Amino acid sequence: MDELLQEFIAETQETLEALANEVVAWEADPADRDRLDAIFRFFHTVKGSCGFLNLPRFERLSHAAEDVLSEIRAGKRTADPATVSAVLGIMDRIGELAEAVAIGSALPNENDEYLIGALAAPEEEAAETAAGPKPADDPADTVRQGGAQSVPRTIRLPLTLIDQLMNGVSDMVLARNELSRKLRERSADPELESAFERLSTCVADMRDAISKTRMQRVDRLFTAIPRMVRDLGRELGKRIDLTLEGGDVEMDREMVEMVVDPLTHIVRNSIDHGIETPERRRALGKPEAGTLRLEARQSGNQIAIEISDDGQGIDTGRLVEKALAAGRLTQAEAARMSEAEKLELIFQPGLSTASEVTAISGRGVGMDVVRANVERIGGVIAIDNRLGRGLRITLRVPLTLTIIPGLIIRAGGLHFAIPRAAIVEILHDNNQTLRIAEVGGAKIATIRSVRHSMIDLEDVLGLEKPAQAGPRTVMVVRSATDAPYALGVSAVDNHEELVIRPASPLIMATGVYAGMTLPDNGKPMLLLDAAGLSSAAQLPNIVDDRAVGEMEDGEAAARSIEMAPALRFEELSGERRLIKLSLVERVEDIDVALFGRSGGRAFVRLDGRLVPVANGIHDFAGERVSALRLRDDVREVCYPVAAVLDIVDMPLVPDLVAMQGLLSGVAVIDGEHLEVINGFALFGGLPDEPIRERPRGRCVLADSDDGWTREILAPLLRQAGHEVVLGLPSDTVVNPQDVVLCSGSIMSEAAEMLGCRIVQLRASPRPAGPQDGSIYRYDQDALMAAISGGRR
Amino acid sequence: MDQLYLLATLAGTRVAVDTHEVEAVMRLADVSPVPGMPAHVAGLSALRSRVLTVIDVAALIRGTAMPTRDSGFAIIADISGHSYGLMVDAVHDICRVPAGNLPLRGQLDAAWTPYARSIVEHEGRPHLLVSLASFIETGSLAQAA
Repeated sequence: MDELLQEFIAETQETLEALANEVVAWEADPADRDRLDAIFRFFHTVKGSCGFLNLPRFERLSHAAEDVLSEIRAGKRTADPATVSAVLGIMDRIGELAEAVAIGSALPNENDEYLIGALAAPEEEAAETAAGPKPADDPADTVRQGGAQSVPRTIRLPLTLIDQLMNGVSDMVLARNELSRKLRERSADPELESAFERLSTCVADMRDAISKTRMQRVDRLFTAIPRMVRDLGRELGKRIDLTLEGGDVEMDREMVEMVVDPLTHIVRNSIDHGIETPERRRALGKPEAGTLRLEARQSGNQIAIEISDDGQGIDTGRLVEKALAAGRLTQAEAARMSEAEKLELIFQPGLSTASEVTAISGRGVGMDVVRANVERIGGVIAIDNRLGRGLRITLRVPLTLTIIPGLIIRAGGLHFAIPRAAIVEILHDNNQTLRIAEVGGAKIATIRSVRHSMIDLEDVLGLEKPAQAGPRTVMVVRSATDAPYALGVSAVDNHEELVIRPASPLIMATGVYAGMTLPDNGKPMLLLDAAGLSSAAQLPNIVDDRAVGEMEDGEAAARSIEMAPALRFEELSGERRLIKLSLVERVEDIDVALFGRSGGRAFVRLDGRLVPVANGIHDFAGERVSALRLRDDVREVCYPVAAVLDIVDMPLVPDLVAMQGLLSGVAVIDGEHLEVINGFALFGGLPDEPIRERPRGRCVLADSDDGWTREILAPLLRQAGHEVVLGLPSDTVVNPQDVVLCSGSIMSEAAEMLGCRIVQLRASPRPAGPQDGSIYRYDQDALMAAISGGRR
Repeated sequence: MDQLYLLATLAGTRVAVDTHEVEAVMRLADVSPVPGMPAHVAGLSALRSRVLTVIDVAALIRGTAMPTRDSGFAIIADISGHSYGLMVDAVHDICRVPAGNLPLRGQLDAAWTPYARSIVEHEGRPHLLVSLASFIETGSLAQAA
């Protein structure tokens, strides 16, 4: 809620600044309808937003101003200087309040009634108000300096700058890849490689950060909705079942910002005059609680946001009456209008079907603003009106620069990407449940007794179909508008997060591509448009639902065989994944201090043993970390995660099989695409021998009286992590793992009798003779090798 | 008129391009074909992090595709917000032509008429002055038709 509030404040302040001039210009020319509309919208937006942000003073002020402006719009009142001053006074007060909210101080406590009164009052009184809308003893002034620190610091940046950054980072990634290729060609230099590794990490982090500046989940768009629906519903005495879907679709931040307002307006309209009161609904034979459904999904190169309710819909007859009354339409024109044209009237400014003006909506502002906002970002708005039964409004906004999970598919020797959300199912064409029949050139794929139209991607694109050894892959593709169909391709190669950019108009004109993407290998790839492919192939748009009924029983039975319980969890890196429950021995919180790293492998000390860490992470923020303890029949492995979510049933064979590292594929659970951990690869990737702590043999320095041994050799060995004993132990208990270092040959003979390794040192760089097995005492490498060699 | 021109050979014809239209000239590598496109769209190629739509101009003019020459030169241009690479046979020089544009005389081959406006004379030889944007626009028109 805090984030929303801040955004509201920032936006209000910004608009206020911009509007101040508008108001003055409007005063100069009160007939200027556009300016009046702009000011009116500002108050309307403030009123709308603060209703659910619980800012009653804002709401009262803006409501009052809106009333007056509405009268002016309707021509019942003229915009005389006093009124303009009063409106300006209200704007100033809103600005003050916004400032106070922004810095978290107490709201200035002047009497708003006075300002509101001035609006309605005759001129002489208003003049007074105009003179002093901001009293000198304004408490906000004093608070302002002290509290300014507490505001979270944000700046607004032009998107072009972020685009530039994004392009720069992409260039950097490609340059890094090239450098990495060049480095591989040359001889391995560990120092250079580690420096390069660091650079790579930085670049990758930066790319993530930059992408994040642009992308937002649609969830963010939905956050305010439930509260708003609840509050409005309560206020109006209506019961509403709200369903939100598709919150994980990511869209451009700018798009989210642009869509928030239209969406809010539509939802408010829908509750206010779409859904009827429970009594009325009962009388109409509808369930008492109205349903309101918001759904976001990606379809091709667009994001579609659908808002549907089961309320009364739009009465186009009344719209026409209103338009006639407002003089926008003549009787003759009205008679000629089609139903769709009548519906279009809803987008006219100042028209509304609401018979009375309420605090929530119904002034006719809204749909015109909604349309203006949506069209500004290149979107379209469509209304599907069923009078008495409900209304469905679909906003379609373009998907520029969005990152979507995509599948890389191969067809005709080329690679293409397709949005993962469009894929329902992936099968090999030798699968038992799939039957492909051909009749008169048409291909029909029957999957578990549901018939789909089938096309081969090569045929649609006019490619050669190369002979291939293995089975071909058939994907069931769902597009936003059409019936699902089966698409045959050579293979599905990979799944990846793809940054989609618009392709040039020449390419978009084909209709089968939704954009292009540049993967890290630097070879451009095209994103297929699922809906475009089906229309290019002119597939009939018929869903085979006859079979669905008969299939349901069979499928339920099949499901009980195929499903296996799985644990849904969130990785430390944020992805949600599944792992078979039977692999998980237990889940526990582990102290992060127990994690460590040895010989390039991460491990954790559990119950006095060292257990390997599956994902190699050993460095955590915080004190404790949740971890899954997994076990095959012999070995144990620890898998640190961010959070354990729940247990779900997943298909035993993932919906998309794509063996890749630790993942065996992707399963769809409750509409969410989840990667499945491959238990085989997980345990297969463990080191052969269990991690042992190095046996701590001691280094016994025989010549303990020697100054060199004491001052130079002993510190060196200690630094290298060895335990050092000066002088042969008096109790002559020498462990066979110990190493004795000495310089004289007599000592070495004595040590030999103790049965442990001896490293003989000499002072001269050159060996005394061919038999001399001693090591030059400043040859550090050889010395260390000899000591650790003795440990085997 | 002291305008800079890029002189190149295109479909066997000497042409000149106003350098305002040219962003860069590069050697094409790795053109990924785009299936389902008219012959003159050779494919996509990456220039750093930008993706170029590569146009085989010779194919547009002659109507038949040339075998894709991976090592050929391309003129890079930004046309209405998208980056294009226009394949040329060879690039000769960038130079000032004091005389500037001269009106076109003689009967121009019909294949060239949509693209050439006038000629530029350099070292005593005429070069057709072509507009890069016209290749793209005409290309999309041809596709629409």
